[in-house]
Amino acid sequence: MTAKSEKTASTAAMQRREFLSAAAVVGGAAVFGFGIPLDARAAVRTGQYWSPEISTVPEINAWIAIAPDDTVTYRIGVTELGQGILTAVAMIMNEELQADWKKIRWEYASANRDVKEKAPAWSLKTPGKEPYSTDPNAPGGSPSLPAVYRNREGSDPREVSWTGVYRRMMTNGGAFKSLTYYYHLAGAEARERLLLAAAAVWNVPVAQLSVKDGIITHAATGRTTSYGKVAAKAAQTPHPNPEGIKAKTPDQWKLLGTEQKYLHTPHVVTGELMFGLDVRMPGMLYAAAKACPVWGGDVKSYDANAVKNMPGVHSVVQFPIPDRGLTRAQRFSGGVAVIADSYWHAKSALDAMPVEWLIPADVAKANSADMMKALLASMDKPEKVAVNQGNFDTAIARAAKVVEATYTAPHRPRARMEPGNATVLVTDSRVDIWIGDQSPQETLVSGSKLTGVPRENVYLHLATLGGGFGRNGNGPQAEHAIMIAKTVKGRPVHMIWSREEDWNVGTTYGAQCAAKFKAGLDADGWPIAIEARTAMDTGGSGISAGLDHFPYGVPNYRHTTNFVKFHVPVAVRRNTFPPQIFRESFIDELAHAAKKDPYQYRRELLMRTNFPLRDAQVQALDMVAKMSGWGSPLPQGQARGISLEGEHDGVSGVQAQVALVSVTKQGSARVLRSDIAMDTGFSAVNPLAVKKQLEGGVYWGIDDTFSVDFQVKDGRMVTSNYDTVLTARMDKYPREVNIQFFKSERWGASSPEASMHTVASALLDGIYQITGKRIRDEPLNNHDLSWG
Amino acid sequence: MALNLVVNGQLYSVDTEPATPLLWVLRDSIGLTGTKYGCGISECGACTVHVNGQAKRSCVTPAGSVVGQDILTIEGLSSDGTHPVQLAWKEVDAPHCGYCQSGMIMAATALLQKRPNPSDEQIESEITNACRCGSYYRVRLAIKRAAEMMRA
Ligand code: FES
Ligand code: FES
Repeated sequence: MTAKSEKTASTAAMQRREFLSAAAVVGGAAVFGFGIPLDARAAVRTGQYWSPEISTVPEINAWIAIAPDDTVTYRIGVTELGQGILTAVAMIMNEELQADWKKIRWEYASANRDVKEKAPAWSLKTPGKEPYSTDPNAPGGSPSLPAVYRNREGSDPREVSWTGVYRRMMTNGGAFKSLTYYYHLAGAEARERLLLAAAAVWNVPVAQLSVKDGIITHAATGRTTSYGKVAAKAAQTPHPNPEGIKAKTPDQWKLLGTEQKYLHTPHVVTGELMFGLDVRMPGMLYAAAKACPVWGGDVKSYDANAVKNMPGVHSVVQFPIPDRGLTRAQRFSGGVAVIADSYWHAKSALDAMPVEWLIPADVAKANSADMMKALLASMDKPEKVAVNQGNFDTAIARAAKVVEATYTAPHRPRARMEPGNATVLVTDSRVDIWIGDQSPQETLVSGSKLTGVPRENVYLHLATLGGGFGRNGNGPQAEHAIMIAKTVKGRPVHMIWSREEDWNVGTTYGAQCAAKFKAGLDADGWPIAIEARTAMDTGGSGISAGLDHFPYGVPNYRHTTNFVKFHVPVAVRRNTFPPQIFRESFIDELAHAAKKDPYQYRRELLMRTNFPLRDAQVQALDMVAKMSGWGSPLPQGQARGISLEGEHDGVSGVQAQVALVSVTKQGSARVLRSDIAMDTGFSAVNPLAVKKQLEGGVYWGIDDTFSVDFQVKDGRMVTSNYDTVLTARMDKYPREVNIQFFKSERWGASSPEASMHTVASALLDGIYQITGKRIRDEPLNNHDLSWG
Repeated sequence: MALNLVVNGQLYSVDTEPATPLLWVLRDSIGLTGTKYGCGISECGACTVHVNGQAKRSCVTPAGSVVGQDILTIEGLSSDGTHPVQLAWKEVDAPHCGYCQSGMIMAATALLQKRPNPSDEQIESEITNACRCGSYYRVRLAIKRAAEMMRA
């Protein structure tokens, strides 16, 4: 289908490009609207394919280019997907570079360049190991790669080299300190070279120069110049001693630690921010794809003739089960696709086409209820004893009271808002991929392996992602698109998964999870023995979250785990770790059994320990109790629940939350208000981003608790769209959210989204206090909460 | 067949079947990609546009049903991001990833045209859009701030 206006459709599209390319000026800050390289934008405007990797403005180092007009472009090696990472990374580089924050632009770094260029040695330095030092440069034993990289060095099935120039192009969790250190160094290296260039021009010692907002000053003579003026010289002059470059210590930070709005916000509100779904290339075809709904299945037959004359249809193609080496060993399916002149034509034809599937017989009858039964049964014979302190068995025998509870959580999708998609252009000698992607380097390898084109000739152009929540679970959208596009060489193909395809076949899930808790209380209601058994699908994440470093004081503690292998693909999901929620629910149950206040009960149990994070945890509880007016009278039908996140040591990120809960007599429940206290440590880069993540986590916890229940029947996921799940919206979100931070002398962890855990157990306890109903198997939508 | 659509004040002649959802005509034929696809079944609101000033979910609106009517997309709200709703959105930094936000903004704008001073209850019953990042808190703040700015 085509459109014409006074202008032709393509001129209309071009005109939009013109509009986009007139870099929006917002609050004085000229910002790249959509994060593709400057030269690439020019290429798009003239209707050519992008040719990135060439910088027409002086490049100081791989991360920083500075134009004569002082505009600084930061190349961001990780994809923005809502967590504010692009703003955070730009802030970090700017903290060190000290350019004018109002003249900052951003673009995504090139994964292709990463293949071709080795990281300079100075950028490979890692921060000292000592976790609580305020100095990131401090020696703390032998510098080593942080665990998140170390695990993958050499053992990654995709053979990605982690020593490429942008070697850390991934948006994963972990200690912020480790993940961001090289951006500090990049900013510092560029600053020093710019200063050296100015010193050379003026023939003065570099030590006499200072810089603020991109203006270099020689105080003795009153001379000034700007970064833009010396950038060309600096770009050509290497640093004499790059190994000696140091990052600032947090006490020297000026920009970091201040609230900065997201750099991409101005482009969101005009609709111009480019997501993968928004890629438009000249001559582009559209594809709709459908894979066998039972994971690991394939196509038996399909009737292309039935649809080949439908409007706009270009061709029908079959694609195989993606090589598991390219999908992190996950089992996905083979399928079929229709290529057409618009997505609607492609989808309509695909929906109309008769397809028969080859369903793997061993899982053809698998369903959620049986899987949950298997998980529950597995715990009778623990597979692994993860923690064993004291002697649980002898202690429980002398308990005055025994409390037991079994909790379960269903499979949950990460369900990012933007359905899986990718745009791919394959020719004999080159592959271009446009995609929002959390692991672009790996996807680049897929582009090479699936086409035979060498990696050096695969160009991956990052777009912003409409949510991520665990890329490696987002499934083989790139692989599907590459396999489809290589059937029409020379033309870009824009493949989109339907929402149903995205949720049912294209993604991996947060694992099903079950736990059995047992505690023995003494005559005063304090635990003398606790056992926590957990079970989860093999490959699930967080089976011991909050339990292997149990923060509460109990002399006899045992924690065991079981993994059970199912065929449902599972992986990490936005830090959703059900055991953490179960733990807090169980502590609530103990407090009620002991007839004690859940806040004071937790506080006392923490005080019985001597763990490293104890004081921060007590502080978080005290702070949130005060914020929420804990203990003050409430009307009938309302109650407060309290919850604590975290383990007993490690980097911080401690948080506590109080949820003010209401339940009507008819059983309609809601969190009315949420209060959160969090220890950000001294390393919070952008407190506004932390707040937004906390706010987002509150939504996840609420939606999971109320509505998320993904069901497997006949081997396939049958829950497919927003009409039955993920139904919590504005009307379930608390009208009031209060957040307060405090700073312990630690590096903070970047997981504020854990507010999803704290809101969940607090909500469940509020419901219990009001209705007397203790819900141990979410979601709430399956339960009658009426009372009175 | 050719359908005449008026989008953001401009006339487009689009060669497509009348049953084609407006969403895909906007995105694929006309090239206005600010309007997003989230569910295709009128549940998530990512595809919200205005038709004659009313919020409408374009994924279930046949293009043939809005011929000649006044269609407004996020791109037409202002030429430079200075509509009060856009300004309010920037002021409170409402977006996370941003994907659902075009729909949120269009739904909010339609609400504010109807109700210049919406109550929390009205916001909750009218803004039924989904946001998987969980921007609801700031979206509420932004709507209230926009209401203030529009009244001023
Ligand atoms: S895409 Fe139209 S409501 Fe979801
Ligand atoms: S901001 Fe990401 S889905 Fe709403």
